Amino acid sequence: MPPELDLFAVARGSVTAPAGCGKTQLIADTLASHSGSKPILVLTHTNAGVAALRARMARAAIPSSAYRLSTIDGFAMRLVGKFPLRSGVPPHVLELANPGQDYPAVREAAAKLLQAGHITASLRATYARLLVDEYQDCNAVQHRLVAWAAEVLPTCVLGDPMQAIFGFGGNRLVNWQADVETQFPPVGMLQTPWRWRLAGTDDLGEWLLNARMLLQAGQPVELQKAPAAVQWVRLDAATAEEQRRAAARTRGRNAQDSVLVIGNAMNVRGRYQLTSQTPGATVVERVDLVEFIQFARTFDLTGANPLRQLVEFAASLMTGVGAAGLLQRVQVLQHGRPRNPPTPIEAAAVAFARGPSLGEASCLLQAFARQPGTHVYRPEVLRCCQAAMQAAAGGTCTFYAAALQVRERQRHMSRPVARRAVGSTLLLKGLEADVAVVLEPHAMTAQHLYVALTRGARQVVVCSPTSTLTPHGAD
Amino acid sequence: MARIRRLEISNFRSIKSLDWAPSAGVNCLIGPGDSGKSTILEAIDLCLGVRRSVDIADTDFYGLVVTEPIVISVTLGGLPDELLSLESYGEFLRGHDAATGQIESEPRAEIETVLTLRLEVGPDLEPSWLLYSERAQEQGLERGLAWKHRAALAPARIGNYASTHLSWSRSSVLNRLTDERPDLGAELARAARDARTGFGNHAGAQLAETLQVVTRTATALGVPVGQAQAMLDAHAVSIGDGAIALHGQTGIPLRSLGTGSARLLMAGLQREAAQAATIALVDEVEFGLEPHRLKRLLDSLGAKDVNLPLQVFMTTHSPVALRELSGNQLFIVRCEGDSHVVRLAGVTDQVQSILRTDPEAFLAKSILVCEGASEIGLARGLDQYGVEDHNQTSFFAYGGAYVNAGGSTPDLCLEKALVLRRLGYNVMAFIDADKEPTPGLLATLAAEGVGLLTWRAGRALEDELFVCMTDAVIDSLLGYAIERIGRDDVAEHIRSKSEGQRTLEAIEAERAAQGVYAAATRELLGRAARVSKKGWFKSVSAYQHVGRRIVGPQLQDAEPGFVDVLNRLWAWTHAA
Repeated sequence: MPPELDLFAVARGSVTAPAGCGKTQLIADTLASHSGSKPILVLTHTNAGVAALRARMARAAIPSSAYRLSTIDGFAMRLVGKFPLRSGVPPHVLELANPGQDYPAVREAAAKLLQAGHITASLRATYARLLVDEYQDCNAVQHRLVAWAAEVLPTCVLGDPMQAIFGFGGNRLVNWQADVETQFPPVGMLQTPWRWRLAGTDDLGEWLLNARMLLQAGQPVELQKAPAAVQWVRLDAATAEEQRRAAARTRGRNAQDSVLVIGNAMNVRGRYQLTSQTPGATVVERVDLVEFIQFARTFDLTGANPLRQLVEFAASLMTGVGAAGLLQRVQVLQHGRPRNPPTPIEAAAVAFARGPSLGEASCLLQAFARQPGTHVYRPEVLRCCQAAMQAAAGGTCTFYAAALQVRERQRHMSRPVARRAVGSTLLLKGLEADVAVVLEPHAMTAQHLYVALTRGARQVVVCSPTSTLTPHGAD
Repeated sequence: MARIRRLEISNFRSIKSLDWAPSAGVNCLIGPGDSGKSTILEAIDLCLGVRRSVDIADTDFYGLVVTEPIVISVTLGGLPDELLSLESYGEFLRGHDAATGQIESEPRAEIETVLTLRLEVGPDLEPSWLLYSERAQEQGLERGLAWKHRAALAPARIGNYASTHLSWSRSSVLNRLTDERPDLGAELARAARDARTGFGNHAGAQLAETLQVVTRTATALGVPVGQAQAMLDAHAVSIGDGAIALHGQTGIPLRSLGTGSARLLMAGLQREAAQAATIALVDEVEFGLEPHRLKRLLDSLGAKDVNLPLQVFMTTHSPVALRELSGNQLFIVRCEGDSHVVRLAGVTDQVQSILRTDPEAFLAKSILVCEGASEIGLARGLDQYGVEDHNQTSFFAYGGAYVNAGGSTPDLCLEKALVLRRLGYNVMAFIDADKEPTPGLLATLAAEGVGLLTWRAGRALEDELFVCMTDAVIDSLLGYAIERIGRDDVAEHIRSKSEGQRTLEAIEAERAAQGVYAAATRELLGRAARVSKKGWFKSVSAYQHVGRRIVGPQLQDAEPGFVDVLNRLWAWTHAA
């Protein structure tokens, strides 16, 4: 099937692509019909995005010679690294020891390198054209970088201003109308809700396109007029928590249906608790795996009480650890006169307490996880921790260094998501499931709300005291 | 189209060091023998050719010092897209500023992006072809050019390898003309086997006795060969690379064409394939070619094409070739002290005019730049006299050449002398003294080491001859003048130069009566002899006769000041 829009006809333009309307397919189709000798450069924002696109292209059997995939920052790094003199960036900046300053410096330098025209000839010689995905997530410098590259390469940027949710902290995102469309004239908008059409829920797809229009205009969305696939859980103040917990357990129409539970972005602890209480649910982790890295940095085998550190960490990943009781029992087993022999977990804990090592730590974590009835609700962290402990157990590197390596590797893999996953819009953007459960829509801005509502292909469950969803003021 | 922008050579054969920025079109290298012209071509071929190894011996190192590596760096511009690729070669891209000739370590807007390929051979004689950039070296990055990219850059060697190119061998230009390839592997193998079978045991009968000895010895020693046979070795008739060759209509392989024809055809095909191979190497371009075919060859190499279809590196010893070229295609190679220098002749009026009139001068070591035909004739006559009557070595044998400045003024001669001097030649200017040259120009010449030969102030060559030579010589000169232009003209010149006061007859009578020519008469004859249109000896051949037959043999009795000038001429032209 020919692509919905002919991107080869675009010398410089932008495509607005609402959620689920075949943006990735358009990119795949474009690359599939590319036949020049030079590859098309495809840029996006995150390493996970790159991995997802790469997997998609591989599935479509597109020859890898047809395209080059990279993050914008990775591309900027490579440009600056290849031309250090013209970029004027000192080598230590490229080591990114200080990401908060170094990334912006690298982006700025790459934008200037392109602007100066020093590498125009080789850039033109290297790529046939440029596509930039998720363009709404560009900040000002990245936008400038792409705009200068577009002076050399035919360029099309794709994105959706209604999904721009990463503009927090000092990261000011591009304004689609004022910044993007002035540099990249609009060439079209994708209008076919493929995600829902393929799931047999066309009416849901159409309703979401309509909701998008309302939200974009700053208007509320009315749940009562929604199609059957949208299920409104009418919250009652007295039972709200209970209702939410129940909603998180929603089963799709099909036992195999995957479910994304979208909780409050601000209340991380609450989401973890909800996950631990929801059978089969797991947490969608941040790419920086912040708690794991924190643990790896502070976990001290020679410290006062490494066992306590380890057990408390285990308790934050799974149910059934019983930290306080276990620690007391180990005291008795080591120094007192135990009446009962140790359980396998207790034996592993004693072994670790007697000779703390990463190998023993890993064994203990495994013993916890294998305990019948235990619900490991943060399996990704557990897996990473085990991998880092095993890598460091040989003694060739510290546990912390191994943890950083594991995280780096993880960054470049597409994330497998469990059948029932709990997260926030920021964590779930880019993911999709059969069922989306939106727990706290009233706290969301129009963009967050749109992202949340569009995560489910067959069914959307919305927990709200009112049938009218009024987006929160811009953040 | 790829072009060599810069060539740097160290420690390769006769070249200790060389740094040269060639032109994008024809680069004709000239210079005295052993100046390193062919070494330059060889260096380019070694660095850019498609080969995985090279035969380098200790003798290829400068001064046989193998501890100093051979390094040949070629910086290429006009790069095709694949070579400009950020992904493949980003860390190696450099910049070349055509205006200043400088190479910068990274590309820059407004200057050309280039790549430097470097062949290095150390004491282990193992060659390495690697790309070079300052930053890559700092970071310890090592990368060569991809094989297919090297193949695309490989220069075409037009010359002794013509036979390679006239068959479908691996590096043949025929493979670059189109994408067609002979695919006859199986066919050829079968043909080879058939040959073996067909040949059978024919040799066996002729070698029966030898075979007998072999068989007997083998049997005695217990080496199990059975009855030894003499058969065609299948490996010896292996038909492989280059088996398919071009043949003419009559079935004669084109490699048997005359040298000239093969070269002409090669050059033409090369230009046809120039989209792929854009650099050609031609050693001794005139080899085997008549002048008219040489001109065709130069044309087909693009010598007259303003679009510079090929970058050609050639050497020549042929004035015919030089006459066809422009000063901006001509490069003079010299070894100066420790390093080799390649100088562009340039397109000054002086160079262009010498290229047309006396191209062989560029092929010489020493050049006598003469104001006109008279000075050339005289100098050549004297040289001939020395060679024939005194068994001396000729100026030509010392690598000398004459340039006729075609001179209306001495300045014209001095300017040509100066230009040639600046190109590194050993130069002497030979002018009349009847017109003052510009004093500043004289000073510059002296400062830059151009020798100057001239007569005493105010005198021209004829004045000196008639004033300084003996009376007997004047008899000969008068006699030769009368023989050359006729008695009437000589008489007329004397009459007009004396404003009707003297006649030829009167002068002859004076000589007969007094036995000498009076000083005033000598002065008059000098002026009459150099009348502007019909000078008595004004041609190379006439003055050559004067020098060879008249002045040379009788110089010893002439006036010492005059003898001194000619002695200096002799000394300079015969100082090897």
